[in-house]
This record gives sequence, C-alpha cells and structure tokens, in this order.
Amino acid sequence: MKCELYEELFTGWINKELSLEEKGALEQHIAGCTNCREELLSLQQMWNTMGEVETPEPSANMGVKFYAMLDTYKESVKEQRSLWADVKYHISRLWEWQPRWPMAYNFVMILIVAGAGYLLFGKGKADDQDKQLKALSTQVHELKQTMMLALLENPSASERIRGVSYTGEIKHADKQVIDALLATLNNDPNVNVRLSTLDALTHLAGRPEVREGLIKSIVEQDSPLMQLAIADVMLKLQEKRSVGSFKELLKQKDLDNGVRDKIKQTITQLI
Amino acid sequence: MLKVKAGDLDRMGLLFERYNRQLYGFLFHMTYQRELAEDMVQQVFYKMLKYRHTFTGTGEYIHWMYSIARNVLKDHWRKNKQQVQHEGVEAAETIAGGSVPDEQFEKKQAKAGLHKAMEKLSESQREILALSRFQELKCQEIADILGMTEGTVKVRIHRAMQELKSIYVKMER
Repeated sequence: MKCELYEELFTGWINKELSLEEKGALEQHIAGCTNCREELLSLQQMWNTMGEVETPEPSANMGVKFYAMLDTYKESVKEQRSLWADVKYHISRLWEWQPRWPMAYNFVMILIVAGAGYLLFGKGKADDQDKQLKALSTQVHELKQTMMLALLENPSASERIRGVSYTGEIKHADKQVIDALLATLNNDPNVNVRLSTLDALTHLAGRPEVREGLIKSIVEQDSPLMQLAIADVMLKLQEKRSVGSFKELLKQKDLDNGVRDKIKQTITQLI
Repeated sequence: MLKVKAGDLDRMGLLFERYNRQLYGFLFHMTYQRELAEDMVQQVFYKMLKYRHTFTGTGEYIHWMYSIARNVLKDHWRKNKQQVQHEGVEAAETIAGGSVPDEQFEKKQAKAGLHKAMEKLSESQREILALSRFQELKCQEIADILGMTEGTVKVRIHRAMQELKSIYVKMER
C-alpha cells in the first residue's frame, strides 16, 4: 500500500480518532516504513506543541459590549413590532384562533345576506321599486299641496306666508293651487302675505292664467305697497296687457302720489 | 437558538455565555489579534440575532455559528488583506515576549515559532487547524461546518500539518 493512502489515518492517529482496526493497519505500515514513522512522530510532536499554545481569554469588556448590543437590538425589534409585526402577529393569531365551524358559519351567513340582497334589490324588482318610489313622491307632492292649501286658510299671517312659500317646492302647481294663490293675492287682509303671494306667482308667470290673474289683480289692490310691487312685476314681465288696468288704477282719486308717478312711468316704459 | 428565533431574544444571552470563549478562541487563532477577535465575536452574535430566521434547526447550532464566523472573517480579509498579516506577526511577538524563566524559554520560543508558522499558512489551512486542534472538533463536525466529506477533512488536516511543519523547520534554521 502506498504511503499517501495513509494520509487520512495520520490525522486520525494524532487526534486519536482512529478505530482499533485503523490503528492496527497504520501501526503495521509504520513498522515497515521509516519515512512514515518519522513523519508521524514529528507531526505528533507538532500537534502536542500546538496543544500547549494557550488561547487567551476574552476580556470582560466583550460580555459588556454583547449585552449592550443585545439590549439595543431588543429595543429596535420592539419598536418594529409595535408598528407592523404586531399587527401581523395578531392577524395570524386571529387566523389560527378562528376554528373551522365558526368560519364556515360566517361564510354561510355572508352567502345568505348576499342572496337576500339580490332578491330584494335584484334586477327583477328594480322596476317595481321605481314605480313605488314614483307613487311615494306623488303622494308627498299631494300632501304638500294639501298642506299648503290648508295653511292659506290659517288665521295666522305667518302660517299663510309659510303656505305660500311651499309653492316654491311644488314643481307642477295645478289650477287649484294657482286659484288659491290668486284668491290670497286679492283678498288676504295682510299686506305681507299678499306681497309674498305676488312673489310666488311671479315665479309661475310662465303660465297664461297666472299672468291674466295678475293683470286683473292690479285694480283690486288698494295698498300703495302692493300697487308699487305689482307695477315692478309687470315691468319685469313686460306685460303690455297690464297698461289698461294701470290706466284704470290712475282714475282712482285717492291714489298715492308716489304710486301715481311710478305707474305713469311704468306705463311709458311698457309702451 | 430556536427559542431565540421564535422571539425570545433573552435566550441569546445563554448562548453567548455558553459559546463566547469557544468562538473567541477560533477567531483569535484566525486573526491573532485580541481586540479584533472580540469585535468579531460581537459581529457574529449580532448577525445571529439579525438573521435568526435563517437558522433552520436542522443542523447543529455551532455549525451555524461557525459558518457565520467564517463569513465575518472573509469579509474582514477582503476589506484589509495586508494589515492582518502585519499586525498578526506583531501579536505573535507580543505573546513570545516578556520575562520568562530560562527553562521555559525554549518552550515559549517554540510556541512563538508556531504562531509565526501558523501565520504563514493559507487561510483555509489555518482554519482547518484552528477547528481541529484549537477548537478540538471531531473530523466529522469539521466536515459538516466546511461542507466536505470526513475523508477530505482528514487529508486536509494532514497536509496543513505537513505545511506547518515545513514552515516551522525553515524558520528554525
């Protein structure tokens, strides 16, 4: 056997890791091979000398530094945890904590709610819903109208003004509403109610019956305030048919001078 | 270490108490600079904390520790190659110096010579001798750490010893 093949055994020999068989084989070899014997002895001596080399002890400082580092590290980890690792941890805990059955129950509940939602608000029911909504808004509209008409009959002037103001919210004032407003305009004892009624009717001036009613109302008004206001409205509407009514008003002897001037001015502007 | 990995960082203190001398010994024989070796021990433990998630628990803890230590050494050598050689020899001389009784003088001389001879070995040869002789690890353990077969480790130890001897003998002359 060649000497190189014993290399592995040399190491085993010097660090005493050889089995009895290996030891026997090597001893047999070195008994007949002077080179190897000398080599082994010198290596063994070297190995022993190395064993006598002292490894110095680390200084106490090393431990101090280590624990300082460990503390700093723990702090930094804690901070990180409180930010997001904690959240992650809790989510994972929640995940683990949720046993299968409650989880399945949750899913079933979600499905039931989703299904019920589909049945209630699903496509098939959408038209019905639309109809219902329309009917409801019509009802509200009618209710408002009734309330407005009722309010106009109220003995309190402020309630009547409130009733008048409701007309602004009524989109399509029907004949009943307009008649009620015109009646209020001509007959209400309170000038403020009449003024606000005039204002409400001005907004509805797009309708011929409103215009006619307003023109007719000119001669009915005895308050200078109303006369001036109605003159302004006619001017604004550029209602030339009102000129006749104004001329008639001028014939009244007890007409306020200021009003007379204003009406004359209005007539000239309209013509 | 698995407990450290699970977040019980205080356990790292136990590991430090148990292994700091062993690790320091290895790093000292690899560098022959006491302060540097201490710094490296610190670095190794820091890395073990930082990369604790990479410890799988399948192998021995000390194998993992040595592999991190070897990486720290590699980083160090890559950064300052020449400095190590120079200071290393100085450190060996420091150990050899001082007033010593005559009868012990020769032994001290021999040890100092060994230090110097160790210095002249290649890093991998010094490493394998540090692990086998100074750390007193079994060949199988070294094989696990270095990722070799046991046979290869034995052959390499033998070659490293031969090399050390020849350097030593040359220095004696």
